Amino acid sequence: MAFVKLNDLEIEVEDGTNVVEAAREHGIEVPHYCYHSGLSRPANCRMCLVEPHVFFPPAGAIVPDRQLATGCTTVLRTAPPDRKLDGKYDFIVRTDSQRVQKARADILEFLLVHHPLDCPVCDQAGECDLQDYSHRHGYDKSRYLEVKNVPPKKDLGPDVLLYATRCVVCTRCIRFADEVSGTGELGLVHRGSHDEIDIPRSHEGVPLQLLDNKLAGNVVDICPVGALISKDFLFKSRPWFLEKANSVCSGCSVGCNITVEYKADGLYRIKPRFHEDINQHWMCDDGRLGYHYVNSDDRLQLPLKRVDDELTPTHWADALSVITERLSEIETEDIVVIGSAQGTNEDNYVLQQFAHDVLKTTQLGLFGQLLGEEHKFPQFTIEADKNPNTAGARTILGSANGNVVLEGDALWEKVSGAKVVYLVSGGSERPLEDAEKAALESVDFLIVQDILPSEVTQLADVVLPGTTFAEKDGTFTNSTGWVQRIRKAIDPPGEARVDWEITQQLAKQLGGEMNYHFAGEIALAIAENVPGYSDTSHQKIGDTGIKLAGSDQ
Amino acid sequence: MVQERRILYEHLDVPDINTFDVFRQYDGYTRFEKAIAEYQPDDVAKMVMDSGLKGRGGAGFSTGLKWSFVPKDIKPCYLCCNADESEPGTFSNRYVLEKNPHLLIEGILICCYAMGIETTYVYIRGEFTLGKKMLDAAIKEAYEKGYLGKDIRGTGLNVDIYSHPGAGAYICGEETGLIESLEGKRGQPRNKPPFPAVEGVFGKPTVVQNVETLCNLPFIIGNGVEWYTQMGPTYADTRANPPTPDPNTGTKLYCISGDVNEPGVYELDLGLTCSELIEVAGGLRGEEVKAVIPGGSSAPILTHYELDTRLDFTSLTLAKSMLGSGGIIVMNETRNIVDCLLNIMKFYAHESCGQCTPCRWGTPWVRDIVQRIADGNGRKDTMTRPKFGVAENGRWGDTGETEEIYEDLDLLESVANNIANVDTMTWNTICVFGIAVSWPAVSYMRKFRPEFEATIQEGKLVTLPVAEATVSPEENYAYQQRFVPKEFADL
Repeated sequence: MAFVKLNDLEIEVEDGTNVVEAAREHGIEVPHYCYHSGLSRPANCRMCLVEPHVFFPPAGAIVPDRQLATGCTTVLRTAPPDRKLDGKYDFIVRTDSQRVQKARADILEFLLVHHPLDCPVCDQAGECDLQDYSHRHGYDKSRYLEVKNVPPKKDLGPDVLLYATRCVVCTRCIRFADEVSGTGELGLVHRGSHDEIDIPRSHEGVPLQLLDNKLAGNVVDICPVGALISKDFLFKSRPWFLEKANSVCSGCSVGCNITVEYKADGLYRIKPRFHEDINQHWMCDDGRLGYHYVNSDDRLQLPLKRVDDELTPTHWADALSVITERLSEIETEDIVVIGSAQGTNEDNYVLQQFAHDVLKTTQLGLFGQLLGEEHKFPQFTIEADKNPNTAGARTILGSANGNVVLEGDALWEKVSGAKVVYLVSGGSERPLEDAEKAALESVDFLIVQDILPSEVTQLADVVLPGTTFAEKDGTFTNSTGWVQRIRKAIDPPGEARVDWEITQQLAKQLGGEMNYHFAGEIALAIAENVPGYSDTSHQKIGDTGIKLAGSDQ
Repeated sequence: MVQERRILYEHLDVPDINTFDVFRQYDGYTRFEKAIAEYQPDDVAKMVMDSGLKGRGGAGFSTGLKWSFVPKDIKPCYLCCNADESEPGTFSNRYVLEKNPHLLIEGILICCYAMGIETTYVYIRGEFTLGKKMLDAAIKEAYEKGYLGKDIRGTGLNVDIYSHPGAGAYICGEETGLIESLEGKRGQPRNKPPFPAVEGVFGKPTVVQNVETLCNLPFIIGNGVEWYTQMGPTYADTRANPPTPDPNTGTKLYCISGDVNEPGVYELDLGLTCSELIEVAGGLRGEEVKAVIPGGSSAPILTHYELDTRLDFTSLTLAKSMLGSGGIIVMNETRNIVDCLLNIMKFYAHESCGQCTPCRWGTPWVRDIVQRIADGNGRKDTMTRPKFGVAENGRWGDTGETEEIYEDLDLLESVANNIANVDTMTWNTICVFGIAVSWPAVSYMRKFRPEFEATIQEGKLVTLPVAEATVSPEENYAYQQRFVPKEFADL
């Protein structure tokens, strides 16, 4: 640990921490553009200048160093005993001296020389580092009289636009493409004040390669100004109108931490949230842009029941009574309950309890999205399992005595010929394979709980409208054993209900003794009853998640 | 009358000196052979240290000291010869490359022997097509004669030289920009530390030396340290306690251009004064000296008051200028300083690599301000303010008079100083390009302020008589002092 005097604070920091990070940990802002803790440090924006202090022998005193230093590359380390300053400090640095403040204001003045004043039409306004720092550290007027550079707007790829006029050439995006995605599509063209970010082009300007990789959307997040803009979010909303919920991506079993940004009428965008061990700063575009099904107009809003071979909307009481009627006249062995790898641990726990305690069946199945492709990048992996909670659902469903969780062929074998199947699906639309379709077709009475009309709901006798990850609280367990919370952002559409509530309602109607009021209560039951999950109360999981004991991956 | 002392250039005009055989007749490679035969590598390095040789590329950093920073245990270690001579007003390396490339190869061999280096890259300015052709031919010949390659002359020494052409960027003459370019990247300087001596080409320790520096090595080895240190003055560095010797030894290839009768490269001992140099170059063309740029276009300008300044590294540093690459440009009374500054600023605005913010957007801004002034559109406020200057007590203070406010001159000084502050000698940029921009901008403007003021006042370029155009050194010094924070005042 290094003992550092930062402004008037005396702080202890890990060896190897840079000044920007050390200051941030202690609530002091050192403005910066090019520095990003997930990328290399070129120190080219010169915004994070700080004032180190050194011992000056002729004066016999500690004085500010002649040169200001960039905070991002100034690394704090334990000094040898004879090099301590004032006998005890390993480093003395000020981030608030007059000289630093002037340097910051001067750099901002340079940054704004060619920057257009188009904040009113810029998507970044409100979450723009240039705007914020100018407000906090900059001068209030420009001394620049000449004509501004107007480099052209560019279409870089499927989801990314470059408003080159706004660019401050911090090169974060270039470094991201080089270091994290390893795809290297971006580079600088021209020189000096004509520097522009661009993709490879022929002399005629025809793109030779687009910014088209599965991590491309991250460059929009890391762009400190409004230069790189997501086409998906373009002109959709001012960021300050958006509410935010910390959640977990449901796109695959990695379990990237995300922030869901929403208004009352639906989700607007999804941004990655830092988690050191899981996704660092990043997420993939499948997750980022894959939320549209949540806002879909096709969402199931009312329960449906089959009348004369047609699925007809009905009300909850009717739908549930049709089910309970049917269930009560069936032998236990003929019922198969299938949980969902798209559902939360809480959903699956209630389902499991329903099957075990109420229906007295131990025949459970696990259903989820089809296996996709795995994508590996130098610093990021998108996993093939496209369900967020396969590991959790598998454990939870099999947690009660004697429960058997069937998957794949074994499940469909069991399903074919079953009298009643209660299948919970959820997630975006999933096509059915032939064997699955045949098995489900052969079922006498098929109850499907889903969020969108799909091939599965087509076969159902009763369809119950469930909820997506954005509409409920709960926990997911990712492939490496991290249990993490998802949080409710928006209300479910129409009369759709949270999945575990539907199951509980069914259980109640069949005489079960379940009475959970909110997801956290179920989490406590899970903590009590499921081996390995003893610490997983919602309070303890918090925003960072908990890694299950014994998960070594 | 001062005489030229030709050492590096002694045989420059011998016909066919670029061929191995002729070079050999004039002691070619004997110094290298002597080094191998008589000295251990460490002895060679010590001789270079003792000779007081300072790097001729521009910074004037002690070559021996630089070599001592190279870690001995990390191999491979590289030598990078900086032949990207691109400072306006400088053209001495070019003659060596074109006429006597074997001398450079011999210098490289000595350096490689001293530092245990096996691979050398010569980064040649792209425009030097003839120089590269001659050097390549010489390298080929040296391989054939067994002075390059594996096991040179049976000594077990391996040295390979690769010549690499630049692509025309001024900034690739900066040592880390050169290294980036050599590695195949954009020519953008690196953050320092780590310095190239620790982490240079391909992440390995690298010695970066100018052509002229390397060409000095054969003569230091051949004639001995004592002979070498006789040339040029040795000062005492009073910043150290007790004062340490600050040698400015050897000869320098001065490239004299501008208003002199016989411009060209002159090899002279360090430590001659400006006026002596003008005399060597055939005297002034014109009536009187208006200004002298002492070390390439990035060096602060000297006025006719400062013609007695000795042109060596130490004296020019004390005069708040620099010897730089030794490109001396003399201007007579017909020259307009605003126009000169505009010319230089156009060059720097074009050559900024654009990596770091202050330089990327500050440099063209400075150019635009100077352009505006030169176009006659410079702004002058209608108000006046108290005039600060040399007060009665000889210190800077309120003189009791008023002065007119030239907004654009204030702006020019402020913007240039925000890129790199010439008074405190601090810069907010990654490399010293920033100071190469603000040094001329601020020094021209301060030392020839009347000419700038007249240009703004008249709305067109005005060339004033020398005496009127120049600010006296006392006033200029006092003006500088007011910006220097107290704790740096005596540095």
